[in-house]
Amino acid sequence: MICENCKQRPTKVTVTEIQNGEHVQRHYCEECAKEFHPFHLNFEQDPLSLHQLLSNWFGITENKQQEQKRQPQTVTCSSCEWTFRQFINKGKFGCASCYESFREQLPDVFSKLHNGNVKHVGKIPGAFGQTLHLKKQIESLRTLMRTAIGIENFEEAARLRDEVYALEKQLESGGENHDEH
Amino acid sequence: MNIEHFLNNSVMSWMAFEGKYADIVMSTRIRLARNLTGYRFPLSFSENEALQVDKAVSAVLLDEEAELETTFSYIDIKGLSTLNRQVLVEKHLISPKLANSEINGSVLLSDNEAVSVMINEEDHIRIQCIFPGLQLQEAWRQANNIDDILEKQLPYAFDEQFGYLTSCPTNTGTGLRSSVMMHLPALTMTNQMNRIVSVISRLGLVVRGIYGEGSKALGNIYQVSNQTTLGKSEEDILTDLQSITEQIIEKEREARLALMNTRENALKDRLYRSLGVLTHARLLSTEEAGRCLSDVRLGIDLGLIKNINVSILNECMIFMQPGFLQKYADTSLQPEERDEFRAKMFRERLQVKNNIDDEGEETHDV
Ligand SMILES: [Zn+2]
Ligand SMILES: [Zn+2]
Repeated sequence: MICENCKQRPTKVTVTEIQNGEHVQRHYCEECAKEFHPFHLNFEQDPLSLHQLLSNWFGITENKQQEQKRQPQTVTCSSCEWTFRQFINKGKFGCASCYESFREQLPDVFSKLHNGNVKHVGKIPGAFGQTLHLKKQIESLRTLMRTAIGIENFEEAARLRDEVYALEKQLESGGENHDEH
Repeated sequence: MNIEHFLNNSVMSWMAFEGKYADIVMSTRIRLARNLTGYRFPLSFSENEALQVDKAVSAVLLDEEAELETTFSYIDIKGLSTLNRQVLVEKHLISPKLANSEINGSVLLSDNEAVSVMINEEDHIRIQCIFPGLQLQEAWRQANNIDDILEKQLPYAFDEQFGYLTSCPTNTGTGLRSSVMMHLPALTMTNQMNRIVSVISRLGLVVRGIYGEGSKALGNIYQVSNQTTLGKSEEDILTDLQSITEQIIEKEREARLALMNTRENALKDRLYRSLGVLTHARLLSTEEAGRCLSDVRLGIDLGLIKNINVSILNECMIFMQPGFLQKYADTSLQPEERDEFRAKMFRERLQVKNNIDDEGEETHDV
């Protein structure tokens, strides 16, 4: 076997890294093993075999018959042109639009990676905070409008519609006009 | 500030022996991953997109000095030699990924090297803050402040459901990785780490160590960080890590006490031998130096070794790495020569400190 690091000399030393209690073995030659620095843990290292976890789970490498039944793998992101299958294989998104393109499949992926969680509950950028606020206002005005129409209070409904219209304009000029289905 | 300053200086602000629990927690690190909307991620974007992202992000950081409360220096990665890139990696100022990158990447460093913002690494923006000791809230506050300033001027890729959109699905959501580096010699010596690691991993946190031959982590250094970034707020992520860290500290303290109570002489013998090796050896491998550094550090914590400053040990830790050694030697070194040079460096550093103590500049008498 050849050293994983220099890819030149034969391996002499096996270094075991422990992540999440699982052992990952790496094989190095004597020279390279010496340079393994005790204080240099790779902070940005992906969790253990992320790609493998995803692809096994989506049955891409192992189960070919299943693969044909599943369609999501051919879904393609229009911006970076990656397919869902490419995303799974690399374990990375090609661009932010991938999230939109693979939206239906993603909750399953995230649930696996984040202890069952699929929804963001943390910080919201200021601009999005305003957008979200506007959207919620518009939604509640629309509900009121429907109620007004239901009781045939058309003057009130028309007034509410104007308000909705104004807010929608504001939303558009806010520049963050994203994913309004 | 001149790039040479960052390359030659081995003393960094996080090395100061300060912050809470500094005897066990060496440093605290916060990282935020962010991307701009309108540009593909670095894995798939064009040269032109790379340039535009680089320009847009660095312009904000270089212009907003007052609000940022720090001055940034801009360093273009492409313009650095391989050795200089390695030195920045060894100082934790850039990631290996950015160092090996072929695209237009750069890093902005604060003067005290506590903050580094990498541009076009795996994500467009990676904000990183390193503080000495256990200071999760302090490090978060600084990273969050920089994030606030950036978001005012740059359009972030964000989604109501998924939060901050990142290239790796393990960062999606808060984009926050918080981590503490801990020195746990007594838990390691008493074979308790395996059990602790397996408990922690079930709580959505990761423990990493690098293991050589046998079951002991090199240098007895472990890094504990959060794994989950979705479904948990930043505050909760930090609170959980804080509480786990405090529990580990408690266990380490108990183990140290038990060792002193039951094996005092054997322990003392081991620690003083290691001090002897560091101050007298003529050849020192990384592994041996790591083990001895851990022992001497423990000796200082236990009040046994008195005339060595922990910040000197922290500095040696960075300095003993291959890139730094070669930078210092001003020539490329063969592995054998590195061991020789490393031993020389330790003798010099620890000796210098002893002399200062003799002159009474800094005394550690109890
Ligand atoms: Zn090798
Ligand atoms: Zn895409």
